Amino acid sequence: MKAPVSWLREFVDVPPAPKEVAVRLTGCGFEVGAIEGDVLDVEVWANRPDGLSIYGLAREVSTAFDLPLKPMPGDAPPVAPVGASPVPVSIGDAGCARYALATADVRVGSSPDWLAGRLTAVGVRPINNVVDITNYVMLEMGHPMHAFDIARLGGPEIRVRRARAGEKLTTLDGQARSLDDTMLVIADREGAVAVAGVMGGKDSEVSARTTRIAIESAWFQPAVVRTASKRLGLKTEASARFERGADITSPVRAIQRALALLKQTGAGDAAGPVADIYPRPAPARRVGLRRARIGLVLGEIVPDADVVRILSRLGFKPSADAEGWQVDVPAHRVDVTREIDLIEEVGRHWGFDRVPATFPAVRVPSAGPVPGVARERRLRRILTAAGLQEAVTFTFLPAAAAAPFVPAGQAPLAIANPLSEKFAVLRPSLVPGLLDSLAYSRRRESDTVRLFEMGSTFRQSGERPGVGWILTGLRTDHWSERPTPVDLFDAMGVADVLAEAVGVEVRTRPADLPWFARGRAAEVVTGAGEAALALGWVGQIRADLVEARGLAPGEAIYAGEIDLAAAVDAAGAASLAIQPLPRYPSIVRDVSIVVDERLPAADVRGTIRANAPETLVGVREFDRYRGQGVPAGQVSLSVRLTFRDPGRTLTDSDVQLAVDRIVRALERDHGARLRG
Amino acid sequence: MRIVDELREEFRAALAGARTIAELDRVRDRFLSRGHGRVTALVKSIASAPPDERPTLGALANGLKQEVELELDARAKLLLAAATPAGAVDVTLPGRRPPFGRRHPLTVVREKVEDIFQAMGYQIIAGPELEDDWHNFEALNMPPEHPARDMQDTLYLATPVPAPGGGRPRTLLRTHTSGMQIRHMEAHQPPVRIIAPGRVYRRDDIDATHTPMFMQVEGLVVDEGITLADLKGTLQIFAERFFDGRVRTRFRPSFFPYTEPSAELDVECQGCGGRGCALCKQSGWIEVLGCGMVHPALFEAVKYDAERYTGFAFGIGIERLALRLYGIDDIRMFYENDVRFLGQVAP
Repeated sequence: MKAPVSWLREFVDVPPAPKEVAVRLTGCGFEVGAIEGDVLDVEVWANRPDGLSIYGLAREVSTAFDLPLKPMPGDAPPVAPVGASPVPVSIGDAGCARYALATADVRVGSSPDWLAGRLTAVGVRPINNVVDITNYVMLEMGHPMHAFDIARLGGPEIRVRRARAGEKLTTLDGQARSLDDTMLVIADREGAVAVAGVMGGKDSEVSARTTRIAIESAWFQPAVVRTASKRLGLKTEASARFERGADITSPVRAIQRALALLKQTGAGDAAGPVADIYPRPAPARRVGLRRARIGLVLGEIVPDADVVRILSRLGFKPSADAEGWQVDVPAHRVDVTREIDLIEEVGRHWGFDRVPATFPAVRVPSAGPVPGVARERRLRRILTAAGLQEAVTFTFLPAAAAAPFVPAGQAPLAIANPLSEKFAVLRPSLVPGLLDSLAYSRRRESDTVRLFEMGSTFRQSGERPGVGWILTGLRTDHWSERPTPVDLFDAMGVADVLAEAVGVEVRTRPADLPWFARGRAAEVVTGAGEAALALGWVGQIRADLVEARGLAPGEAIYAGEIDLAAAVDAAGAASLAIQPLPRYPSIVRDVSIVVDERLPAADVRGTIRANAPETLVGVREFDRYRGQGVPAGQVSLSVRLTFRDPGRTLTDSDVQLAVDRIVRALERDHGARLRG
Repeated sequence: MRIVDELREEFRAALAGARTIAELDRVRDRFLSRGHGRVTALVKSIASAPPDERPTLGALANGLKQEVELELDARAKLLLAAATPAGAVDVTLPGRRPPFGRRHPLTVVREKVEDIFQAMGYQIIAGPELEDDWHNFEALNMPPEHPARDMQDTLYLATPVPAPGGGRPRTLLRTHTSGMQIRHMEAHQPPVRIIAPGRVYRRDDIDATHTPMFMQVEGLVVDEGITLADLKGTLQIFAERFFDGRVRTRFRPSFFPYTEPSAELDVECQGCGGRGCALCKQSGWIEVLGCGMVHPALFEAVKYDAERYTGFAFGIGIERLALRLYGIDDIRMFYENDVRFLGQVAP
């Protein structure tokens, strides 16, 4: 709301310096965002429709400066008596609780300079003297009005009713609109001439040829106006005021003010009495305010005299009772319905800066962060220490970017009202967002990128906490060695670290996932055999997805993701116990075998474990070699076996027996050949 | 004798010029070699000197020879000690750094905020990003059609998602983390002292100060006798600790449907030191958080005794603090994840 200080000074004798007024307004909760010359740009909260007027702001200013407020202009002696209107009015819907209508003979022309100047100063474009006066009164008193050209009203008469489904109306902005039965309209004998509280119709607009007008000044239910405004996508000065709650005592006062201005400016004269249809007057509101409760909420004792002063200046009528006051609430304060509302009034005009700063007593200790929070912090530290950089990406994606990451037969979780196509669906995986971020850095001269992100992923079944990571570029980049690019096993290693951090044992098995290159993807699973539970996956991003981000299709990018909820469930309760160190030495044997190159290492490991004594405590691949000395289609696999007995020192012959048995099993089950 | 003194001077000059063992060896050869050494020659000349000069020359020449030998040996030791030993490493080359990443700047700020409140006895809680209308709006004194819902333009799900363990289906992306506070109060009796961090969503167009997703930390304290003065004191401590004591604050009345009275905490603009500049829109202040006394309607919604208990709540925008902390002016940088940007975050 724009408010010239000179206009405010019509109602309250504040200092003319805009800055001084701005500081006081901001101090009582009406923040002044900018000052342009004499004009304050005041932020008015959704609960204070009375602040959307010069008089309403003057009331706040008068309280803040503790200066008297002049009476509201429409309270001057009435221009026309209240009585039966020459234009009959009927209200057929509870969405309109009060409807006042005046008629006037007018000479349409341009407004006097002072009036047009004030409208321009607050950002309202002058149109003609009649329309300008309705706008002026709205700005001054906060009550929206509308003027119809009576010659264009069928009847002429006014009917307030629900719109019919599909009813058409061309509004003042020239838009042809289709209405529905949730909307309230002002109609004449033929059809709708205005959307109640939102905008008038083009056909009955006041024009240069208009000689007689009907001025509407009504009160519409906030929810009704709000619904129509939203459905039509039409926000107006009128709808902003009605949907927050106009002053139900204002319609006649506003219309008298408009008639007075018509007369004063020579634009026209009242032509008959003012109709006032107000079948069920709103009951007066009275709210109790306890002295003790003010102190309890604010932590500050406000003297009684100040409570009374503040409330009275704001238009409330407090009368003392045993515990404090019974307070009559003025109709313009639609936001005040209970005691806490009055305490806020006292507090904000007493001044928050006068409230002391104290620290609340702690009676019970904090329970400590919930488990998920502590876990996230721990994992984040482990991953950053492991060389990954934390990223934070948007949770939503374009549908096409999400599609490759949704399992077949499922759909991503879509947003009903996305801002744009770019934010159409919620991410089914952390990887597409990370891939976008990686590509962003790659296109900007960064060759090596290692990112991770922690956050929720979304499916039709709900949201799940996860961690995703993505790698490209070099693993080592030191002058002492040849640059080595990252590969799939770097991505896999991250899964191992995470699993260990969560406390779950995992292994990998081949997988075919649509977002990974075929033959270069693995599922990360826990548990044995076919009953194994998938916790996530790692792999190399498919070439066309890489290319879609503007990178060369051959660029090797590796990614992985773990479902943290599943991993934590699988981990169960963590044991902090540390195992005693072995008392007897271990014996190590290296075995190199030549096998078919398609044989998974996991199978070799399985055969070794199945045929080893309990003293085998470690199996680790340490070399995999193809080339000279190894027949085509085969591979030399070297495995280091560690044996230890917890109760005694093993002998060479113990170990040799075990190794021989293992080798025989490998020869039998996999056609393995021992390398010399 | 002059000839001895001159030779000594010559030797001293040569010695001073010898910077390596090889150069020193050449000096030794020049003065002491058996065949043509200058000092050797001097000593040999004793025999052919006139008899009356012989004793003096003899003493001086042999003295010089001894002196030269000692000085050469001493210098040789020094040069040997200074020479590069076999197997020496060029330690001016860069080391092999174990790679380490950094937390995202928004995480750094979030954890900093969390830690400050944890030290004040708050529990950090977590909650869902998909919410139902009750927890996001209705329980927070925002019934359907409440105009304040416009302050938080909401992103809705195209299809509702079932809530884990039953309950109201989730229909929207939370517009604040206040829903977590309602959930906490539904499950716990006062005293309550929690902070609820997380991602929140609004249907805002992207520009330098808005993104449709951003980070919030909300706090809630409920107990007997909690006052606005307690809120003010708590947030003043927060501001001092977050900005390391160097900050002026202002507590200004505001409006939120879920608190009353409501306030905003402003900190003095760092761009201009409070004089007014483009960053603070000439006001001298930057708004950092919204807060207020918990509206009694919330206590009624979670079945707390609104007469017995009072409380305060606050909501901190992490991006806003991060802009100030890192001295940048566009929040979009936080979501681009350019590694050249992320790599500059102090670990």
